[in-house]
Amino acid sequence: MSTVENIFENIQRGMVPAHIYNDEGLFALEKERLFSRAWIFVAHESEIPQDGDYVVRRVLDDSFIIARDSGGQVRAMFNMCLHRGMQVCRAEMGNASNFRCPYHGWSYRNDGRLTGLPFHRDAYGGDEGFLKKGQTLLPAPNFASYNGLLFINLDADAEPLEDYLGDFKFYLDFYTKQSTQGLEVRGPQRWRIKANWKIGAENFAGDMYHTPQTHQSIVDIGLFREPKAQKRKDGATYWARRGGGTTYKLPPGGFDERMRYVGYPDEMIRRIKDVWTPQQQRVVGEDGFMFSAATCFPNLSFVHNWPKVHESVRAHPKSEVLPFISIRLWQPISENETEVCSWFAVDAAAPEEFKKDSYKAYLMCFGSSGMFEQDDVENWVSLTTTAGGSMARRLLLNSRMGLFADDRPVIEALPAESFHGPGRAQVGYNEYNQRELLKLWADHLDSAVSA
Amino acid sequence: MRKPLPFNDIRHLQAHQFLVDEAYLLDAQQYRPWLDTLTEDIHYVMPVRVTTARGTGFGTSPGMAHFDEDKYSLSQRVARMETEHAWTEDPPSRLRHFITNVRSFECEDPDELVVESAELLFRSRGDVNESALVSCGREDLLRRCADGPHAWKLARRKIIADEAVLRMQNLAVFL
Repeated sequence: MSTVENIFENIQRGMVPAHIYNDEGLFALEKERLFSRAWIFVAHESEIPQDGDYVVRRVLDDSFIIARDSGGQVRAMFNMCLHRGMQVCRAEMGNASNFRCPYHGWSYRNDGRLTGLPFHRDAYGGDEGFLKKGQTLLPAPNFASYNGLLFINLDADAEPLEDYLGDFKFYLDFYTKQSTQGLEVRGPQRWRIKANWKIGAENFAGDMYHTPQTHQSIVDIGLFREPKAQKRKDGATYWARRGGGTTYKLPPGGFDERMRYVGYPDEMIRRIKDVWTPQQQRVVGEDGFMFSAATCFPNLSFVHNWPKVHESVRAHPKSEVLPFISIRLWQPISENETEVCSWFAVDAAAPEEFKKDSYKAYLMCFGSSGMFEQDDVENWVSLTTTAGGSMARRLLLNSRMGLFADDRPVIEALPAESFHGPGRAQVGYNEYNQRELLKLWADHLDSAVSA
Repeated sequence: MRKPLPFNDIRHLQAHQFLVDEAYLLDAQQYRPWLDTLTEDIHYVMPVRVTTARGTGFGTSPGMAHFDEDKYSLSQRVARMETEHAWTEDPPSRLRHFITNVRSFECEDPDELVVESAELLFRSRGDVNESALVSCGREDLLRRCADGPHAWKLARRKIIADEAVLRMQNLAVFL
């Protein structure tokens, strides 16, 4: 029977106790030691473009109003009235100058300040009994953004977001900065799956091994030409501090040709070259790797694929694929249930026609109805169910792909001249990234929260 | 403006029959014949519902949907189901589309009908998984494409889900 200590020891050597994907005790520990101090994605700034716009998002059980106040500042406020604890905002999106608690009518400006308190004088003797000035909805302990991605950290002493992300920022830019205007996002689609949240996070981080099998139907129907086994093996996986992902190796060509190969129009390529550093461009242009799926620890994922979205395209199989980007949050509900929040994202400066087709590409491939996604979830639900039994506590899943028994790599990491991104990258089938993700998970769970 | 049809109007009866026959095809996952009941210019859309204040004026997520399909994308979804590698439906779900509250409306174009219905989809997979439900309303546009009782095809469908967060693992189904 595994104790918490030997769970973490096993994780460190790439052997995964199967029950970690459905274990009530470990979920309690994740709440206490992981989600209480990791940076958790909540929204993108483009969801609240106008002053007064807000969305309501959760970090596990805590509800936050993410609002652009009347002065244009983006804030994250705990959605609980200071008086009796009612949610002051029960809609999930909208535009408001004030939030009024429906219980006793306390009201707050959209920057969180308490402004209205019915019968203040009669009930409290005015400011002598209860000083309104300075009272605000509780701000999120820590709140920061990177390329418009908004994150909350429940730990007031957390390291700054940019330090937390570290070198993974290099790769985040591929998805979230394709012009000076940045992303615009739509959604999210939200649905619940009876699967543990870690499975999707691991899958997006580095599971290129599943693509030829799980997603064979996508190749069968000619929707996406890349997932063939050979192509996945030739792609590089990378890991850089708090995140990692998969790439596809593209046919020979320079930066422009390779961006065109996945369907970017020339005007977008021009803008991309204005904002990606020369080093970022070299990963695509010289090394020949096009970013695909990725995960930022703990539960934020990204995907970038380039399917065929129109009938007419099928007649010209050599061209006319189109890329899309999706942002994905694996929001834990319990040890065996996850709310998936899936946004479509596109560069704000992209031509309207591109946005339309890219949205279509997203819907066909990912999200609640996406044809890739459908088969993924089937696997994850099945895995989670089985992980809840007693036999799963006797099983160590082998997550050592890419390593010999003595820990030497089956294929050496790519040298710097073959992969210009930071962190560690390699080609060939491997589970390096899944191991890195679970090691971070184990490190968090293994370290007590200071009182 | 559209005018409600009495329940004994032959067009209402044909519309109702269209929906019931369609429900049979969807329960049985006979998707190839189902495609034939759609016009070439079909627009099949299922917006994402959101919880908003009553005065907000909208209840769907701007610019986002669960489905936003044309004939090509629906055909691709069906083609995928016909491969031997659509794992999510192999073994297949047991499906039941319950259709009720059917109302039909005459349009300016005599060859078109607006048809509203309520739908409850029950989906059961395996033996230990909990079954799942999707409740929704539908606003359809039927177009007369031939003579006779089976003359109608579906030209537009808007599926109004009743949940903001779907309690179903995926939409490898049609509504």
